[in-house]
Amino acid sequence: MITLILSNLSVNIQAIYPEIILSLTLVALVIFDLIFNKQKKFLPLISIIGLFFAFIFVIPEFGTSRSAFPTSENNSLLSIDSFSAFFKGLIIIASVFVVLFSMSSNEIKSCPDRQGEYYSLMFGMIIGMFFLVSANDLILIYLSIELLSLSSYVLAGFVKTSIRNSEASLKYIIYGSTSSGIMLFGISILYGITGSTNLFEINSVLGFSNVPQITFLISILMIFTGIGFKISIVPFHFWTPDIYEGAPLPITAFLSVASKAAGFAVLIRFIEITFAESLSKSGFWQLIPYVNWQNLLVLFSIITMTFGNFAALWQDNLKRLLAYSSIAHAGYLMLGVAVLSDQGLTAVLIYFSIYLFMNLGAFFIVMLIANKINSENIDDYRGLGYSIPFLSTSLAIFLVSLTGLPPTAGFIGKLYIFFALVDAKMIVVAIIALLNTVVALYYYIRVLKVMFLERTDKHVEIEISPLNFVIILALLAPTLIFGVYFTPLVNIAKNSIQLLGF
Amino acid sequence: MRELMYLTVILPLFGFLFNGIFGSKIKNEKIIGIIGSSTVGISFLIALGAFFETLGLPVDQRQKIVTLFSWLHIGNLDVSFAYQIDQLSLVMALIVTGVGFVIHVYSIGYMHGDKAFWRFFSYMNLFIFAMMNLVLADNFVLLFLGWEGVGLCSYLLIGFWYDRKFEKSTVADASKKAFIVNRIGDFGFLLGMFLIFMTFGSLNFNQVFSRAVSFNVPEYVFGFIALFLFIGATGKSAQIPLYIWLPDAMAGPTPVSALIHAATMVTAGVYMVARTSIIYASAPSILMVVAIIGTLTAFFAATIGIVQNDIKKVLAYSTVSQLGYMFMAMGVGAFSAGIFHVMTHAFFKALLFLGAGSVIHSMHDDQNIQNYGGLKKYMPATYLTFLAASLAISGIPPFAGFFSKDEILWYSFANGSIIYWIVGAFTAFLTAFYIFRLYILTFEGKERFGHDKHPHESPAVMTVPLIILAVLSVIGGFIGIPSVFSGEHGNQFHNWLAPLFKDADRKLAIYNFHTHFQEILLMSLSVILGLGGIILAAYIYLKKPQIAANTARKFKGIYNLLWNKYFVDEAYDTVVVNPIVTGSRSFLWKIADNKIIDGAVNGAAKLVDILSINIRKLQTGVAQFYALVMMLGLVAALFWIILSL
Repeated sequence: MITLILSNLSVNIQAIYPEIILSLTLVALVIFDLIFNKQKKFLPLISIIGLFFAFIFVIPEFGTSRSAFPTSENNSLLSIDSFSAFFKGLIIIASVFVVLFSMSSNEIKSCPDRQGEYYSLMFGMIIGMFFLVSANDLILIYLSIELLSLSSYVLAGFVKTSIRNSEASLKYIIYGSTSSGIMLFGISILYGITGSTNLFEINSVLGFSNVPQITFLISILMIFTGIGFKISIVPFHFWTPDIYEGAPLPITAFLSVASKAAGFAVLIRFIEITFAESLSKSGFWQLIPYVNWQNLLVLFSIITMTFGNFAALWQDNLKRLLAYSSIAHAGYLMLGVAVLSDQGLTAVLIYFSIYLFMNLGAFFIVMLIANKINSENIDDYRGLGYSIPFLSTSLAIFLVSLTGLPPTAGFIGKLYIFFALVDAKMIVVAIIALLNTVVALYYYIRVLKVMFLERTDKHVEIEISPLNFVIILALLAPTLIFGVYFTPLVNIAKNSIQLLGF
Repeated sequence: MRELMYLTVILPLFGFLFNGIFGSKIKNEKIIGIIGSSTVGISFLIALGAFFETLGLPVDQRQKIVTLFSWLHIGNLDVSFAYQIDQLSLVMALIVTGVGFVIHVYSIGYMHGDKAFWRFFSYMNLFIFAMMNLVLADNFVLLFLGWEGVGLCSYLLIGFWYDRKFEKSTVADASKKAFIVNRIGDFGFLLGMFLIFMTFGSLNFNQVFSRAVSFNVPEYVFGFIALFLFIGATGKSAQIPLYIWLPDAMAGPTPVSALIHAATMVTAGVYMVARTSIIYASAPSILMVVAIIGTLTAFFAATIGIVQNDIKKVLAYSTVSQLGYMFMAMGVGAFSAGIFHVMTHAFFKALLFLGAGSVIHSMHDDQNIQNYGGLKKYMPATYLTFLAASLAISGIPPFAGFFSKDEILWYSFANGSIIYWIVGAFTAFLTAFYIFRLYILTFEGKERFGHDKHPHESPAVMTVPLIILAVLSVIGGFIGIPSVFSGEHGNQFHNWLAPLFKDADRKLAIYNFHTHFQEILLMSLSVILGLGGIILAAYIYLKKPQIAANTARKFKGIYNLLWNKYFVDEAYDTVVVNPIVTGSRSFLWKIADNKIIDGAVNGAAKLVDILSINIRKLQTGVAQFYALVMMLGLVAALFWIILSL
């Protein structure tokens, strides 16, 4: 059982300043909403201020490597290292954008009296993710996943009057509980075998004594299912299209980026810490051969990207199309993990940073257009390239980047993944992934074709507020700049693969 | 100033962006012209400052790398925007920005009133940007960026008047021809680059060149690298067999011909060979190929130049011929002599083109020299400067061309063989002849133009550049006075560049056993040949014009051959272009593309389609089904993982 050693509490508290700030912001949001319930427009402002201060406290975590909240002499609940700092940074950036998105979302605005609830639940998600990316202990991992999930269940069904929202929320709860049930079951089996829930302790047990192999594998796969649900890999992805389509757009965007980032962070930490034997000089991880992780991950990632891309081909709803595309992207990302090397991990971090901007960008523009024309159907995008050139061109850039064509950043992300694969001599896998991008090209470019090559008499006019204009530029700039000048990003990623314990 | 050299790249880029973005709205030619020229002018001043600073440094400290940023670093491949400032790149930078600036100023007058004045200047600035990247790069990738960039600008500027007719087709066709022929060369260059990376594991100049000395690489590998790079050079620098695009490139505005197709871009190949001298020195057989190709190109292009009547076409073939001389110098291992000729040629050939532009301007776009005559009294400045350039290209002392051309001829004898010298000296005779034929038909003799034309001198904005270039064409050679005259100091220009070529020189192991007497004898012979060409041209075209017509009639076969440029274009059409076109049309298009590729693609698409529709059916919306698949997935994964243990 976990017993916290609270001898050095103040030092341990310092380690979770960002999380404390986020919790305080959550409380502030609730209180502010109760006292000044007419002043809804200050809520996003408070959220952004909270995120800003959390970010300031995340920065010094970068480059450090320490543990917090020890449960025994050598082990602890949390790892504060560059790796977790990197993901916390990504999550904050994504959260800021999502708060900004929410300010101009018609769906969110349609429930004016529940704004406080909305932002405080969002902070619940963020806190869950923050603990998830640092967690060293299966119990903490499970708790943070639950915190993240419970908040997102409510947010997915935020617009109660919309049938679509409610259906999404209900389905989400059903799958979410099923998968977390499976995960909890797996954790309990693992605890039964190894006698611990701490990843480091499990690692040392695996290194020194024999464990019943089949039972062990079952428990690992059950935990993998729980994480796989979060990052929506096939066949644990079924909730994704329905919930992405049904949920309010800012929440869909948030789920597709931030929650996925947290899921990947915990997957990587779980694999690397639980199974690490030693780190070889060439940067390839030496794992304890209880589980052939490479085979498992390659299989799942190929199925995931192929399924995602093929299912996206004939989608007429742009939100649903982006949902399948995000499944496919999870496949590419997992290929980077499957290399099981420092280079592969660097590629994953690069890919994620780029994916954040281009995916949020695509969702934001779809939202702005949906605000006006009340549709996410591709047929309704006919001729938009002529009536709203700025939005259409921006969407085109984001989609081209999602495809992975130069000179956009998406190309660089894929390039580094492929480099890692080729360096690990996984040529066949690289070719399959490459063919997959060809399939992806079709459905992304189809949107461009409809927007720019097909004409219509209908004229749509969308006024872009200065704030939204700035948001689009802030998303466009990295998508384009990282496509040409990516050295700083690569350097940050290279410095962020350091996990506590290595 | 050396640290600021990156500005010589950035400033033209700024000029390009400024004129490219705002030019169409400014509409004021003065502002556009001043911005376009001043970016290049300031770059020139910086380069000049860097040059003098370098001059003051000891030889072993003259090389400096200025790194802007590292662009790509994966494995061994490290691509940086890094500029190498050394003796060679400074000479090239001074030529590009110096001559470039003068031509930019001239263009303000020449392009006056053009509807796309701003577009012209933004392209010209873009060209300077690309060219500076080419000459300052410290690695092959950046050099290639510049190499492709100048090719693009060349294409854009040849096709600047894309809606006009040119000869039998259009200006657009001429620009396409230049681009496509250059691509063939670029392909060779790329292959060379790949091979360099495979062999030496780097694309950085310093690393590659030091490894070329220290690594034990078989000679045939050097041979292939050198050959592939040289194919690139024949494309860019218009050598046999890829020279055919340059005469057509004259479809562009005349300042473009002066800057890109005479002074700078076409010498990129020469620069590249000089830069990679150690690789060529390690592959003597390919070096000989370079020498032979250069000599042949010099000779054949000069013979074509004799009979052409289009003023720019004569100059175009003259450029091809002079580039041949430069490659001849490279081929016999006289790298600094070749670069010296690049410099003097930039002066006098740019001047010839700009002078031709001035004439064309006053003759209302008529380019046929048979319709000129007696223009010297109407345009004194153009006439005098043109004369100076003609004397320079003919190799008459003490004009600039004499020193550089003579150095090449001397080394072709001393390092190479007497055959190079004989062909080279005879080409010098032909050169003097065709250039003075051009000069006499234009400026001397009777006026042959119609009364509707009123020749006039060009404005000062055009004549001042001519005068500057004329001064350089007269005195520019003095920095390279051969040691036979200058005594103990030796050849200054040669001494300046020598440290860069010392590895190559050591490898080639050239020892000069020849006497001063031989050198002076050969020099006198070539000057006599040059004078002979001038006198012959004067005699025929001033005194007895019927001789020209009679000779043409008597040797009708040869005349036709030369007039039609050895039918090379036609031969390429029959042997290469037409088979490709018909082959593509009847086989590649109708069978390979329509049937095989389209069939495969459509078939694959159909397959994907069917798969996709079935996959979509999985998403039923029924919750129990999802949970079932999830569990099945878990079980399947368990089997997979047990099997793969």
